[in-house]
Amino acid sequence: MKKRTGVFVCHCGINIAGTVDVKKVADKLNKHAGVDHAEDYVYMCSDPGQKRIEEAIKEKNLDNIVVACCSPNLHETTFRNAAKAAGINEFQCEIANIREQCSWVHKDMDKATVKAEKITVSAVERVRQNESLEPIGIPVTRRALVVGGGIAGIQAALDMANTGFEVVLVERSPSIGGHMIQLSETFPTLDCSQCILTPKMVEVSKHPKIKLMVYSEVQEITGYVGNFKAKILKKPTFVTDACTLCDECTRVCPVVQSNEFDLGLTGRKAIYIPFAQAIPALYTLDITGCPGLMPIACGKCADVCDPGAIDFDMKPEIVEEEIGAIVLATGYDLYGKEEMAEYGYGKYADVMDGLQFERLLSASGPTQGKVLRPSDHKEPKEVVFIQCAGSRDPEIHCAYCSKICCMYTAKHAMLYKHKVHDGQAYIFYIDIRSGGKNYEEFVQRTTEEDGVLYLRGKVSKIFEENGKIKVWGTDTLIGKPVEIDADLVVLAMAMRPSEGADKLARTFKVAVDKDGFLAEAHPKLKPVESVTAGIFYAGAVQAPKDIPEAVAQASGAAAKAIGILSQERLFHSPMVAKVVKNLCTGCNMCVDVCPYDAISLEDGKAVVNDVLCEGCGTCSATCLRAAISVKNVTPQQIYEMIDASVGG
Amino acid sequence: MAEEFEPKIVAFLCKWCSSAGSDLAGVSRMQYPPNVVPIQVMCSGSVSPLYIFNAFKKGADGVLVSGCHPGDCHYIEGNYYARRRIALVKELLEFVGLEPERFQMSWVSAAEGTKYTEVIKDFVDVLKPLGPQSHLRREQ
Amino acid sequence: MVNLDELKKEAKRVLEDGKVKYVIGYVKSKASNMAAPAFVTDPEEIENLIWDPTCVQNLTKFIVDEKKRKAQQKKPDTRPVAVVSKGCDSRAINVLLQEKYIERDDVFILGVACEDLGVIDEKKLAQKLKGKRFGELTFDDKKNVVATTTDGTVKVPVKEVLAERCVECQANTPLIYDVFLGEEDRRKPDAPFASVEKMESLSNKERGAFWQEQLSKCVRCYACRSTCPMCYCDECVVDTINFAVTPDTTAQEKALRIKWIERASTKSENFGYHLVRAIHLVGRCIDCGECERVCPLDIPIRFLNKKLEKTAKELFDYEPGMDTEKPALVASFKDEDPEEFIR
Repeated sequence: MKKRTGVFVCHCGINIAGTVDVKKVADKLNKHAGVDHAEDYVYMCSDPGQKRIEEAIKEKNLDNIVVACCSPNLHETTFRNAAKAAGINEFQCEIANIREQCSWVHKDMDKATVKAEKITVSAVERVRQNESLEPIGIPVTRRALVVGGGIAGIQAALDMANTGFEVVLVERSPSIGGHMIQLSETFPTLDCSQCILTPKMVEVSKHPKIKLMVYSEVQEITGYVGNFKAKILKKPTFVTDACTLCDECTRVCPVVQSNEFDLGLTGRKAIYIPFAQAIPALYTLDITGCPGLMPIACGKCADVCDPGAIDFDMKPEIVEEEIGAIVLATGYDLYGKEEMAEYGYGKYADVMDGLQFERLLSASGPTQGKVLRPSDHKEPKEVVFIQCAGSRDPEIHCAYCSKICCMYTAKHAMLYKHKVHDGQAYIFYIDIRSGGKNYEEFVQRTTEEDGVLYLRGKVSKIFEENGKIKVWGTDTLIGKPVEIDADLVVLAMAMRPSEGADKLARTFKVAVDKDGFLAEAHPKLKPVESVTAGIFYAGAVQAPKDIPEAVAQASGAAAKAIGILSQERLFHSPMVAKVVKNLCTGCNMCVDVCPYDAISLEDGKAVVNDVLCEGCGTCSATCLRAAISVKNVTPQQIYEMIDASVGG
Repeated sequence: MAEEFEPKIVAFLCKWCSSAGSDLAGVSRMQYPPNVVPIQVMCSGSVSPLYIFNAFKKGADGVLVSGCHPGDCHYIEGNYYARRRIALVKELLEFVGLEPERFQMSWVSAAEGTKYTEVIKDFVDVLKPLGPQSHLRREQ
Repeated sequence: MVNLDELKKEAKRVLEDGKVKYVIGYVKSKASNMAAPAFVTDPEEIENLIWDPTCVQNLTKFIVDEKKRKAQQKKPDTRPVAVVSKGCDSRAINVLLQEKYIERDDVFILGVACEDLGVIDEKKLAQKLKGKRFGELTFDDKKNVVATTTDGTVKVPVKEVLAERCVECQANTPLIYDVFLGEEDRRKPDAPFASVEKMESLSNKERGAFWQEQLSKCVRCYACRSTCPMCYCDECVVDTINFAVTPDTTAQEKALRIKWIERASTKSENFGYHLVRAIHLVGRCIDCGECERVCPLDIPIRFLNKKLEKTAKELFDYEPGMDTEKPALVASFKDEDPEEFIR
């Protein structure tokens, strides 16, 4: 039976009609073979516009429709729903994009009109061969995976667990807490960071719905939204649950290594607990420093361990978990020392980064909160803080603004002044970015109440002379060079994605942006979603963020994940690949190219798993026999669309 | 005066990057010549050599295949297969004597409205002096 | 040197043992100076087999035929067929294996080495003999072809009349076999793509004119496709003549088979046909040169395939028919694949 097609050309006010003669387009389409109805209307997406479509479908008995309007990214759903409301399958509606791809980019009305006609005819030819399809329903595994145990990961895990869903929280270091647990006090309220974070950490450890896996890394993710499978590597800690935390092992361990928790300002033993409030409270034997996992090599820790909790034979373990949604919250690292040679970072002991300074300020830090410089443990009287160390420097470092440094530097200077009343703090800055609730007031306080000196300009040279760190810079406001004999220099180093973020992106099949942070699905409207359905971002993994933003995004990501986990079934686009068995020779090429492992050979013929297939069509371009194609974007349809595009 | 030759270009744009980039050019009201009629495909990896040959046979003066930048493919790796396939098609077409300028590939991301505009402008500019494509075109 | 008696002995043995269904080999042709393919089921007839530089055909094609025949039979004899296979032909078997079209057990490969020769090009020989008509061709132990012409016998060194593809041969020794005959001598040509490079050195316009002239001649007899062991599809995408209609074929499938290429042998359709064929053979064509040899219009079809073979080698370091485990050229990629051509 001949199919009846309807065409609806939208004026979009003058957005389309200003450049495209919409009446002419409708007239032309009315004469096009197979088109039984064509009309134009000022706003097709308006309620009356949609009504016109529904009525025309019913009255003219249309089998399929084309709406020539804006981009399908905007109103495809609107018009497909209208089609559905009028009793035809939603896939019997296609959009001809004559606004973004035509009227808005051209001025010549005649030419734009001809192009709009071609685009519309092309859509008509396509829709006439569309199959009616129903979304594919798939059951959901109602558990979540959170990767990264910093504040963002903790928040996301707690939000989901408190809603009633099981959560697997994976952290690669021996304790959760992330960078936040290393901080002293937080701007702008000066809450003690540990005091506000540890209750959440404890909640995680006690939560019946949270399975905490520290010292673990996700190695592989397979599956798809609602039905992921994760392979998680549990690294051996060589300490069993029998451990009573007596600390005898640490006492006898002969190996001293750099302490990550204090960012190298102190040392720790090869067998250690990361910090007093570590969650879980577990010792870990770091084999990178341990002389050998055997009693002959050393074995002192095992000797003194009364409960016999040291197990040199502990092996790495692969744990498989099934989950329905994933939150990635792997956070940030500071820009590397090795890349910032110009400020003497890594060369002079008294040039440190912001996180190290946090440790100096922290009551749990190496100096119990006294500000003492590393080289001679004296109280520094002149401290220079340098903002944008590595940030906003597209020439050699990071082009982006790390966002939090203005605020934490202000906090550093303020806390320094609170501890060293007769000291002087200088801050070199490009400009002060203090957008945020009570942030600007906080910065004002540092200058007005604490007498911190802000110098607008860049530092040109830093060198050591007579036990001082000489800082040469320019104050661009007065246009004069500045020279400071500093006792300590603190660099507000740029934030960058945590080490291994690129590998993480590959494992989870999500995109990275130009700076190496994970790319969100839409910069404005989908800021917590990745391009892969069912995978969400929380915190600095996506971009530099402060704590409240990371927490807010974590709750957002949790809500998005809950949106999936709370469904009985998920629906998947039915525009999937289909095999014409007669033509398939079983050459395996489509199986090889499929990015989703959705195709397999059964009895020598390709078979598509509809649930795994995302409909990219790479198989169809690869197949030499035209034996596989994606529903509703078949080669037949493209053939007709090429015809329409080339036109007369 | 004889009308200036207006090349016809068929552009296969992937839905997620290049078509979205083309949308952005529209949203930003950038201007480019109306010689291109886009065909949205799911992925540059789905563009079969048959489509390209067919477009030339049907009288296209130029054909463009545009996809996501390497590493940004919505389908993870479809554009890598496209890159290889299109390289082969391009070599073949040039070998049989089609002007190399007539078949182009570009990476245009969803954020690159400007780049899309430039790609189209430059394509039209380079095709105009070549005149109509008759090498593979169906006899009239 | 391949010992012909040895070849016959091996062929006879597997046939007599009932290990193979039949033997595909070469025999003297009654109609042509070149050898003819033979399908030997009677062990006595093994005696007729020959092996010399007239054995031009790629017998892998007949393995494809056998597979198709078996698919039609209700209770097919599943024993393998034995096939005499040159180096190039063995690469074609490798491609069939790589594409899972046949299984290794489907064939018993009697691999023969071409050593420093190959097969002769009849046209080149005719030129050498300056148009003199010649009858039976024999070969002496000095690697000469001995032609009986109206002016008596003429000796021409085989090397001077080798087929172009043998001059540019990449696999003079079979890569896969069950029995191997001859000397293993894996020589590599100095200029494996010399003929293509010559074409490439022409201007784009000149090449365009060349192919306009050549492809206008094509009468679309499809001899190239029919003789090609890689063109094994039941239905070729370029035409719908042999569209395989089975009980599962839907009306829509029938109605919607696209005519990417029209049957008319006009220039543009001929271009379409040859372009599609070339692109469908990239990474698969192993340069047996049979398409060009069988072309009644002397269209240098091999160039198209050779050009893409060169491209695949240069851009992607891919050589067809060398590895049965690797994914196909267009079904794989490397991160570092070139993209200078992409804007």
